Amino acid sequence: MRAANVAALVVALASFVSQSFAQEPADAAYSAAGLYNLANSYARAGKPGMAVLNYERAALLAPNDADIQANLNYVRASLHLPAQASSRVSQILRLASPTSVAWIGVLGVIILGASLLSAKLSRRFRALRLAGIILGITALSFTTCNALVQWPKIREAVVIVKETPIRVSPVPMGDALLQLTEAETVTVTAEHEDFVLVRTRTGRSGWAARADIADVVPRHTVR
Amino acid sequence: MKALLAIALFLAVCTSAMGDAPLAYQTIEPSKIIIGETAILRITSLDSELQNVKLPEVSGLSFEVLGHSRAMEFINGTASESSSIIIRVTPQIAGIFSIPGLTPKSAPLILEVNTDRNSGNLPLTLNGKAPRPPAPPEPKTGSVAGIHFVADGSAFVQLKMPKRAVYVGESVPVDIVVGVHPGVVTALNGLPTIKGGDFTLNNLSRQPERQEEILDGKPFLTMTWHSVLAAVKPGDFSLTVETPLTVKISSRPSEDAAFANLLGGPFLQNFYNGIVPKEMTVESLPADLHVLSLPTVGRPPDFSGAVGAFKVSSDVSALKAAAGDPVTLRMHVTGAGNFDRVDSPMLEHIDHWKTYPPKSSFSAADPVGYKGEKIFEQPLIASQTGEQTIPGLSFSYFDPETRHYERAQTEPIKVAIATSLADSSLKSPAVAENADAGAARAAAANRSTAGLKADHALTRGTENSLIPLYLRPRFLVIPAALALLVAGCLIGIRRKPQHAASKAIERALAQLNAAARSGDSSTFLDTARSLLLQNLAQRWQMPPEQITTEDLAARLGSDADDIGRLFELADEAKYSGYDSNATEISRWLPIVRRQIALAGTT
Repeated sequence: MRAANVAALVVALASFVSQSFAQEPADAAYSAAGLYNLANSYARAGKPGMAVLNYERAALLAPNDADIQANLNYVRASLHLPAQASSRVSQILRLASPTSVAWIGVLGVIILGASLLSAKLSRRFRALRLAGIILGITALSFTTCNALVQWPKIREAVVIVKETPIRVSPVPMGDALLQLTEAETVTVTAEHEDFVLVRTRTGRSGWAARADIADVVPRHTVR
Repeated sequence: MKALLAIALFLAVCTSAMGDAPLAYQTIEPSKIIIGETAILRITSLDSELQNVKLPEVSGLSFEVLGHSRAMEFINGTASESSSIIIRVTPQIAGIFSIPGLTPKSAPLILEVNTDRNSGNLPLTLNGKAPRPPAPPEPKTGSVAGIHFVADGSAFVQLKMPKRAVYVGESVPVDIVVGVHPGVVTALNGLPTIKGGDFTLNNLSRQPERQEEILDGKPFLTMTWHSVLAAVKPGDFSLTVETPLTVKISSRPSEDAAFANLLGGPFLQNFYNGIVPKEMTVESLPADLHVLSLPTVGRPPDFSGAVGAFKVSSDVSALKAAAGDPVTLRMHVTGAGNFDRVDSPMLEHIDHWKTYPPKSSFSAADPVGYKGEKIFEQPLIASQTGEQTIPGLSFSYFDPETRHYERAQTEPIKVAIATSLADSSLKSPAVAENADAGAARAAAANRSTAGLKADHALTRGTENSLIPLYLRPRFLVIPAALALLVAGCLIGIRRKPQHAASKAIERALAQLNAAARSGDSSTFLDTARSLLLQNLAQRWQMPPEQITTEDLAARLGSDADDIGRLFELADEAKYSGYDSNATEISRWLPIVRRQIALAGTT
C-alpha cells in the first residue's frame, strides 16, 4: 500500500514537471552556433557592440566553446577594452554546458537520496553507500557552483552605441559621470522607466539610457 | 553749255540742300586716326543754343566734353549765330566706328581708327605731335583670282575649301574670308552664312582672324572664319557664302564728288559729296562641290559613320588590381574627321570580367573641333584572380583619302588580378561607381576582423531561453520534487524502529501465550513482568530497572495494584518456587494484554 502511494507521488511529480516544461515560452530559438555566427557578422560589419552582445549570449549556451571566447576577446582587444579575467575554477565549472550541468545536479540528487535511503534500509555495502553519498554531494556542488558563476551573467548588458553617458540620476538632463564606449559590458542592478542603473567593471555605478544598452539575456526571458 | 548746266544744277542742288539742311549738324576731325591719337567731335546748332547733350556710348571709344563755343556763320550771304559743343574722342581699339547723332537732327559719323599710319590713306594729324609708330611690315599683296569684289570694289566674301569631292557626313574644314575696304565699309552686320539647306556649317569660330592685305591695289581688312562643312546628301552642289555689311556710298555723280573734294573742309565735303551708308549683303563666288555617298561594299558591321583619318590606342587605369576592384579601360581615338560620329561600344562581354557601359569625352585640338582626341572609358571588374587578358579594341571608319573602310585595332592588355580584399564578390553598378571608397572600407573592416575565428556549422539543437537550465524555476521543480521524495522516504524509514518494537512485543505476547498454554507459571510470570517493564519503560521514557512501585501507583492508577501484585508473584515464582495454577494464569493474561495494548495506543 505504501509503495503504491510513493509511486503515485512520483507520477504526480513527473506530470507536474512535464506540464511546466510544456508551458515554457518558445517564442525564441537560440543556438550557440547561430549566435556565434551572428556575432561574427556584426564584427565584420563594424558593429562591435552587437558582436560582443551575441558572443556573450553564445557563451551562455556554450561556455566551453573556445572560438566564442577567442573572438570575444579579439573584438574587445581590437577596441582596447580589457579582457575579462577568468579564474581556473570558473573555467572548470564551465566545462559542461549549463543544460548538462543541470541534469548532473538532478542526477546528484537522485544518487544522494538513494544512498541515504539505502543506508537506512540496510547496513550492507557501506562503502558503496558512502561513495554514492560523496558522488551525489559532488554533483550537487558542481551544479550549485556553476549556477553561482553564471548567475551574474544574466544581469549583464552590453553597450551597443558608440558612446553613452552614465548619469547620476535617471533623467536625460542628469549630470554625466562618465562615458561608456561601445561593446563595454556592465551589470544591470536596477531599472527606472527608460533608464537602468548599471555598474561598470571598475565598480562605478550610474544610470544609462535603456536604448543604448542591450541585455545579454533578453528581459522577457528573465523571470 | 555743259559748264552752264553744271553751275545751274549745282545752284539748284545747293538751294535744295540748304532748304533741307538740318539746323544742327556734327562733324569729326580727323575722321581717320591711329591708336594713341584723338579726334574732335563738334556739334553745331544754328537755330538754338546747345546746352548739354548726352554723350554717345560706342564700344571702343571714349568721349569727353572740352567746352562750348559761339560763332557767326554766313550761309548764302545771311549771317546767323551758331553754338557748338566740342567733344574729344579717344579710341581704345582699332576699327571702324559709327558715332550716332547726338541730337535728333544730326546724322551719324564714321571714325576710322587704325593701328598704324600705313594701314590706310590717313592724313597726317594737324598738330603733328603724335609719336609716329615704328614702320610696320609691308602688307601682303594678295591675288585677286577667285575673289568677287562687290560694293564698288570695297568688299568681298570668299569661301575656301581644300577639297572638291567629299563624302556624305564627312567634316570638311572651310575658311570664309570677308574683306572690307576701310573707310567705305562701315559695319559688319552679321556673321557669314552658307546659302542652301543641303549643308551644315558647324562650329564657326567666334573671333575671326584679322589681317590687312592689298588686293587689286587697295588696302583691305580681311577677316577669316574657320568652320567645318558637312553635306547631308550626295550630289553636285554650288556653294556660296554671304554676309551683311554696311557700306558708305556716294549718292551724287562722280563730278559732284570731285567738286566736293575741292572744297577741302570735312563739313563741306560731307555736305556736298552726298555720301550715305547703305546696308547690303555680299556673296562669294559659287564654289562647286561634289558630294559622294559612302560605299556600301566592305562596310563593317560596327561602322558608326566616322569619316576621316583616325588612330586608336588603349590603356587601363591599373595593370594590377584585386578581384572586385574596378579597372577603367580607355580607348583613345585621335586624328581628324567628324568626331561626333566616332562611337564604340567598347567591350560588351568578356569572360571573367563584369563590364559596364562606357562613357566618352572629346578634346578638340583646333577651334572648330575637326582635329582632336576622343576618349572612351569603360569600367571593368575582374571576377577571377590570376593574370587576365583584356582583348584588343577595334574601331571602324571610312578614310576619304584611301576611299576605303579602315579598321583600327588595339593590342590586348594583361592585368594581374590578386585575391579580393573584400569578402563580397561582384559589386552592382551603383556600387562600382564608389568602388574605390567601398573597397577601402571593406579592406579596413577585414583588417580589423582578420583575427576572427571562422563561423560554425549550425546545429539542430536550440534553446528556448538563454537562462541556464538550472536557473529556470520550472526546471528547479525536478530536483525539489526528488528531494522531497527522498526526505519522505527517509521519514518513513525512521518510523520502522517502533514497528520493530511492536514486532518484538508481538513476539513476547506469543511467548507469553505459549507459556500460558503450557501451564508454566514461573515462565509466564517472568515473561509477563519483563514485557510489562519494557512496555512501561518505553511509555515513560525511562530505563526499565528504575521503575518502582511508587511509579506504578502514580502513573497507572487503579491498574497499579494488579501490576504490582503481578510483579510480586513473578519474584516469588523466581526466588521461592511459587507455582500458580492455570486459573490464576488465565486471570493474569488479559490484564497483561490490556496493558500492552494501552502502551501501543499511546
